[in-house]
Amino acid sequence: MKIKKGWYALFTAPLMIVFMIVVVIPFIIGIGYSFFSWDGLLKHKAEFIGLKNYIDVFQDTRFLESTVRTTIFTIIAVVTVNVIGVIFALVVTTRLRVRNVARTLLFMPYLIGGLILGYIWKAVFQEYFLSIDWGNWTSDPTKGIIAMIIVTTWQLAGYVMIVYITGIMAIPNDVMEAAMVDGANYFQTLFRVKFPLLMPSFTICLFLTLSNCFKIYDVNISLTGAGPGNKLEMFSLNIYNEIFSLSNFGYGQAKAIIFFFIIALITLAQVTITKKREVSM
Amino acid sequence: MKSKKVLALVTALTMVTSFALAGCSGNSATSEPEVKESVKAEESVKESVDTEGAKLTIFQSKTEIMTELNKLAQAYTEETGVEVEVWETTGDSYYSDLKTSLSTESGATLFSLQPGSESRELADYLDDLSGLSFVNKIGAGMADTIDGKVVGIPYTVEGFGLVYDGDLVDPSTITTTDDLIKYLQESTAENPLGLSQEDYFLIAHILNAPFAVQADPTQYLSDVLAGNERLADNEAFVEFAKIMEAIRANCKNPVDITYDNNCGDFATGKTAMIHQGNWCSGMFTDYDINFDMAIAPVPVLGNKKISVSVPIAWYVNLDATDAERQLAKDFLEWLYTSETGISYLMNNFNFIPVVDGMENTNLDPINQSVSAAVISGNTIPWVMSNWPAGIVSTDLAPITSEFFTSDMSGTDLLNKLNDAFVAAAK
Repeated sequence: MKIKKGWYALFTAPLMIVFMIVVVIPFIIGIGYSFFSWDGLLKHKAEFIGLKNYIDVFQDTRFLESTVRTTIFTIIAVVTVNVIGVIFALVVTTRLRVRNVARTLLFMPYLIGGLILGYIWKAVFQEYFLSIDWGNWTSDPTKGIIAMIIVTTWQLAGYVMIVYITGIMAIPNDVMEAAMVDGANYFQTLFRVKFPLLMPSFTICLFLTLSNCFKIYDVNISLTGAGPGNKLEMFSLNIYNEIFSLSNFGYGQAKAIIFFFIIALITLAQVTITKKREVSM
Repeated sequence: MKSKKVLALVTALTMVTSFALAGCSGNSATSEPEVKESVKAEESVKESVDTEGAKLTIFQSKTEIMTELNKLAQAYTEETGVEVEVWETTGDSYYSDLKTSLSTESGATLFSLQPGSESRELADYLDDLSGLSFVNKIGAGMADTIDGKVVGIPYTVEGFGLVYDGDLVDPSTITTTDDLIKYLQESTAENPLGLSQEDYFLIAHILNAPFAVQADPTQYLSDVLAGNERLADNEAFVEFAKIMEAIRANCKNPVDITYDNNCGDFATGKTAMIHQGNWCSGMFTDYDINFDMAIAPVPVLGNKKISVSVPIAWYVNLDATDAERQLAKDFLEWLYTSETGISYLMNNFNFIPVVDGMENTNLDPINQSVSAAVISGNTIPWVMSNWPAGIVSTDLAPITSEFFTSDMSGTDLLNKLNDAFVAAAK
């Protein structure tokens, strides 16, 4: 037993060290910065201002608006990504002849970076839509969000599909056969047998998509930018602009910390709720 | 079974390539500049006492000259034996990358900045370059001077204004704001005046004109930033707002046009006039253009001058070692005085001369307009270089695209822009 533990420690050590260096330590230092007013330059003195940054955040209407916008975006995107992901998974686990090719193709968008995806889709929503008189979607506050949801769904649906496929494959055949013998139709089997047994997959996928959508940045900056009147600016882009464009490192850091706690709270709540609904065989 | 293996292989390949692609896309946002080309010195026979073993690192934001700059570095290594390393950037996040590297004391020895609010912000990191031999030959007001010390050596000058198609527009009929508005209303061109959606081409450049025509632009800007002056009370800005309203009413919506489309439509005669600068002339060589073009002023308050200034200048990192800084100064000395260096500046980079004694004989029409304006002194400054850093992307451009996609009045536009200036100055 002792030897085994030693091996575990040895193999996880590199990862733990890297994780400490690039995530944990900067995070802790970052909390410190959020109490200062600083422009990011070593030769310029950082001034300690206590909780002022955190107080200012709650009067920053632009930031608060972006919070609301990001939340709306996340709620819709999580639903569309998961619904379409489940449908994909159900389709490619049938006896479909092209199921392997379909899996590969559906997964592929995820392999393209969000930044590139944004620029590709920008050509569609802007140039192509203008040419067929649908108007420019990337410069309209509502259609811009819809455009982002479409791109995000296109990118992530194939990814969550893979998780759902594993979940569906893991459902034992005897349960399905029992349902069939009992005369359950397709939808009864789906909602009464498959979905309850898929709960662990839902937990993972909801967690992944929730945090991914809240943190959306690359698609935002490349597809729409901040948009007219900053009405398409999401959480992360707002923080990025505060820190790197306006050089308010301390204030931007305070926003980032608040951002972290919001995401942590929401995802934790989600994981606890969905975990409770998981059933075991 | 075989097909499955092939499929797996294809998937694996796709993954590898797209991770590589994703890697590229990530780089533009990461803080560490990518070292693309390091030009190795051949075994140098020459012994330089104080700079031995040091190498020159260059990080600069003018991406158009990147290829030529690498060749220049090679030429310099061949002539002097000094190793030169040019760091690559996409230009987008150059300034924040530079600041990050300076802050972690890993900055390049020679780097570029926009003279103005950028060089003021980093003043503590800039070495004194007054000692270079050609400094007193730099055109008046073009070297970046802080506290009486020359710290920035200009690349070139650039100018912008209304680039017009001589077949479609007669600039002599447009001398006042009313003339311009009348032209916009009556023009039969597919698009009478083109702006484009990118931050600087949407608002920053055109907004420079009303600032620059003020009696004392610097003083006026600081009054605006302090909240003592309102843009909406100023005649030049009122005229500017009218022009913007006329553009919205009579031209293609700028937020639907990209930079490339804008210049391309101009080159193919669809757009009669674009608000652009001499940098776009490089693109026109790809087209077969047979009309005359030049840069006309934005006629607010009857202005007859185009906006010309030094867009970028060279700076030496004060934090570098003495040997490294000496190398950077030697390089600048060589670039601006040696035959090879000057030839690169004029012929390869196609710069407009900023130092006495240099001459560029093969300028295209638009660059010639700028050069002529410099010689005759018909220029107004780039007040925008002194706007609070970052304000164009975070505030001015979003406000303007809102203006172009709604029925906001010109006065509201001015007030929103004004509020953004005041807020950013805090």
